[in-house]
Amino acid sequence: MLTKKLPPLQSFLVQVSRRASHVARQQYDVIVVGGGHAGTEAAAAAARVGAQTLLVSQKVHTIGALSCNPSLGGVGKGQLVKEIDALDGVCGRAGDWAGIHFSILNRRKGPAVWGPRAQLDRQRYREFIQSELLSTPRLTVLEGSVEELLVTEPNPEEPGQHRVTGIRLANESHPITASSVILTTGTFLSGSLFMGQTTSPGGRIGDAPSSAGLSHTLRERLGLRTGRLRTGTPPRIVKDSVDLSLAQLHPPDSHSTPFSFLNTHTRCKPEEQLPCYLTYTTPGVERVVKESLHLNCHIQQDTKGPRYCPSIESRVLRFPGRRHRVWLEPEGLTSDLLYPQGLSMTMPPDVQLRLIREIPAMHRAEIHTPGYGVQYDFVCPTQLSPALQVKSTQGLFLAGQINGTTGYEEAAAQGLWAGVNAARWALSMPAVALSRTESYIGVLIDDLVSRGVTEPYRMFTSRAEFRTSLRPDNADLRLTLKGFEEAGCVSPFRYQEAVRVRDSLQDALAALQSLALSAIMWRKKIPNVPISENKSTLLTGMDILQYNDVSFEILASAFPECLSPYMEFSQRLKIEGHTLTNRGKEIERIQREESMSLPQDIDYFSLPVSLSQEVREILDRVRPSTLGAATRLQGITPAAIVHLLNYVRHTGQKERRAHRYRSDQREDEELRARNTSLPQ
Amino acid sequence: MLRPSLRYRQAMAAPHSFTGEDCVEFHIHGGSAVITAVLQALGSVPGMRPADAGEFTRRAFQAGKLGLTEVEGLGDLIHAETEAQRRQALRQMSGELGRLYQDWSHRLKRCLAHVEAFIDFSEDELIEDGVLNQVDRSVCDLQAEMERHLKDERRGERLRSGVQVVIAGATNAGKSSLLNTLCQRPAAIVSPIAGTTRDVVETALDIGGFPILLSDTAGLRDSPDLVEREGVRRARERVEQADLTLVVVDCAHLPSDAQQAAAFLQGHLTSVLPAQEQPDTVYPTDRFLLVLNKTDLLPEEQRQKLDRELRCVSGLPPVCLISCHTNDGLQDFLTALHSSVKTLCGDPLSGAPTLTQARHRAHLQQCFAALAQYQRYRDMDMALAAEGVRLALTSLGRITGRVGAEEILDIIFKDFCIGK
Repeated sequence: MLTKKLPPLQSFLVQVSRRASHVARQQYDVIVVGGGHAGTEAAAAAARVGAQTLLVSQKVHTIGALSCNPSLGGVGKGQLVKEIDALDGVCGRAGDWAGIHFSILNRRKGPAVWGPRAQLDRQRYREFIQSELLSTPRLTVLEGSVEELLVTEPNPEEPGQHRVTGIRLANESHPITASSVILTTGTFLSGSLFMGQTTSPGGRIGDAPSSAGLSHTLRERLGLRTGRLRTGTPPRIVKDSVDLSLAQLHPPDSHSTPFSFLNTHTRCKPEEQLPCYLTYTTPGVERVVKESLHLNCHIQQDTKGPRYCPSIESRVLRFPGRRHRVWLEPEGLTSDLLYPQGLSMTMPPDVQLRLIREIPAMHRAEIHTPGYGVQYDFVCPTQLSPALQVKSTQGLFLAGQINGTTGYEEAAAQGLWAGVNAARWALSMPAVALSRTESYIGVLIDDLVSRGVTEPYRMFTSRAEFRTSLRPDNADLRLTLKGFEEAGCVSPFRYQEAVRVRDSLQDALAALQSLALSAIMWRKKIPNVPISENKSTLLTGMDILQYNDVSFEILASAFPECLSPYMEFSQRLKIEGHTLTNRGKEIERIQREESMSLPQDIDYFSLPVSLSQEVREILDRVRPSTLGAATRLQGITPAAIVHLLNYVRHTGQKERRAHRYRSDQREDEELRARNTSLPQ
Repeated sequence: MLRPSLRYRQAMAAPHSFTGEDCVEFHIHGGSAVITAVLQALGSVPGMRPADAGEFTRRAFQAGKLGLTEVEGLGDLIHAETEAQRRQALRQMSGELGRLYQDWSHRLKRCLAHVEAFIDFSEDELIEDGVLNQVDRSVCDLQAEMERHLKDERRGERLRSGVQVVIAGATNAGKSSLLNTLCQRPAAIVSPIAGTTRDVVETALDIGGFPILLSDTAGLRDSPDLVEREGVRRARERVEQADLTLVVVDCAHLPSDAQQAAAFLQGHLTSVLPAQEQPDTVYPTDRFLLVLNKTDLLPEEQRQKLDRELRCVSGLPPVCLISCHTNDGLQDFLTALHSSVKTLCGDPLSGAPTLTQARHRAHLQQCFAALAQYQRYRDMDMALAAEGVRLALTSLGRITGRVGAEEILDIIFKDFCIGK
């Protein structure tokens, strides 16, 4: 994949504008509004599923732009990137193409929580995304500003009070129609920018604010509940003005691990990669923040900001008297800017300069672009189904910051899943869902739609109950097969590769299991391994692989005839063996429960079972997607769970029953009548 | 241990059981001591745990074994049961026991939050180096406290459902007379004919504020009579399950020499006590009281000599000389009985709160075991180590209430300054 030659950016723009000339009269299956991380994954996924897709962005050349930090992945976020890639998404391969500093975080804390991460070259990332969209069949890109969302009466055979039919662009008289519309407007929904005491409408500096019409339709016409959140970005620093000898050097890993399961190496070789630098705040930084508080509108507002990506103002105010880390990150191979992660700030530009110069390495630093804050509307995500469709509005899907999340990876993950389901809706295929037990994407979506957000939502590994099974290395086994067989968003090429990997791993594990020798024999075969000779039972190759000093390579060299065919999977086998042996029974029990799903169209108020009104209200409000999710809700009793069992669908039966719901309601009613007349 | 108390076992192979899975049912006596003993024995089998409320129904449904109406009925039943449990739990939770569990839960949450912070944030952020060492210490302390708490020898449960006191001994030693004397009414038939009592006679009593369940049993002897043999079998079964056994001996049968009398009593104890135990094992003397009855038939001089000399013999349980006929020595006996019962229950007003429910015990045992998982993986794999703390908190949460990821994140953000 990395060997392909990117078309020059110029041809992208030519092709886009050429398409734009005849686009206005066309009809699409799916329209995606917004070209950020959510929008690009959504458009690409919808097209992969088979939908004729249109991506509308205010500025076509900013599609794929990294608005904030020049990096991808990390602990929890890296897991999301691997999962997006396993579902044939774009950002993992883009990261491998654009990465200029690769490292795996948490290397010593166990393979389940390794955090693959890369610093990115902004320009290369944008180039890759744009070229990828250009070469995606069934996908058209159009520059324009959406003036209005077109809404009409619902299809009476489906749940919902409204239905979207398309969009109308500013300065265009003709609407563009589609069965599904995905909104990925990021911080642009009623966005305001803050710097010092000035505010201006907008979602990103240098871009026009989005139309007020969209916000209005969501709130007034569709009656959606919205909230307001804030975020911010640090100033960009001129690299030459920083004394990097006063900061701590952090080189990349000596061996780069790619994000994508399709890649064996990254474009940028380790020796060509750039380092990051670590430095710290000083008491002077705290002083400048405190002295300038009265000049800082953004920080005085009580809108919720992210607790884990706070501005330097909130950091020193909440934890005074401490030194805080500041990472100086490269912005690109040839860029002469540095990104000071940890120094997001919204004070007036002259105070920003005073502040950064309190840090020794930056005592003579120059600011290229000052930092600023953004406040924006989000739609309370409990109004969405696990397919990320607005429950009240047929065909309307939301993804990214509009759902109250923060972060590229979180946005991309939602975009991909919204794209899959928007396409399936448009093509009259049943919705698909991901569970918490099989993916971080499932955890993310379940948290959003069943609990909602009170602050910008970011992924952490601690949010995943099944963390030890949701490892970055096995995302393909968890998702690629399902993505092809059930969701239809994975190419046959990737699918066949995943099947090969799965079969080889199974064969290799069986081979390891069948190698059973006494401790004495093992010690003869593999010297220098601390196996106690007192062990009386036979030990398998799997048992031996548990020892820290034993790699799969060592075992394979001792038993070349049966193990050497699997050398390419040596690291995955070591991890797989480790996890299989140490995994608890409790987890399997919870996983079974999680696999029992509750249909989204249950009318909890009319269910003919003895549930208290209070329980009915909770269930109706939250609409848990699985029995497991229902047990986690406050106020749901064990008795209520037992009653709900009648409405559970096993994952395997889901599609069949969903189909039956649509095609033959009468049969369903008969079945219900039969159930109620069961003998006492 | 389990076998004698079982009425019968029924094994059912999948898919013909209630849940559609392989299944064993134990049908046992209804006494709470028996139930507790069985639950405890089962709980000590690795991997065994009590079902959650509604779990069997859920599994049955999963296997397609239940229809709508059946689930309805079961749901209501479970509702009634869990309501009772909830009210009971609430009562306990407001007390000292509740405070203890809440304190553990709070400390475990902090441990988990710190481990999670170490996993999710330590690469990017300043997480103090000592965080994990602090967790190590907390986990160690918690384990020690839980172990002490679990070793309370079921005192709280006894306080709740009564101390099981069994009267046992040879025929015609005066066991039924002792029962009648203690409950101050003719609860059991008394006659000079050996083997009058054939079944277990139970009565509830209050001894100095402690509830006890007193059982009179058939005299232990080999009898050709089938009914009496069954009575003797039940008597032995009771002794095995008893918290405290009153071994009644007719003192007219005692040799007059004190040394010989002591040897006789030792031998007698062995014959009364559970058969499968080794004869040379030392019996826990606080679980027995030797009651030498019919002192009115001894000359006063010999009675005093016996009393004096038997007290000095080591290895014998406390000895009381009484006469159920004249009530002579009864007060001393009651004092001895009270002090034994008090030891068994623990004083509810002092010391660490004790366990009151077998279910709590099972969850605490799981919690304790899960903490060991943290220690096992601490230096090998933090994710697996954290899993141990998570499991520990889930197990404790089944007593104190559930703990969600958000709550853990709240503690993380309170304790650490976390940036991106």
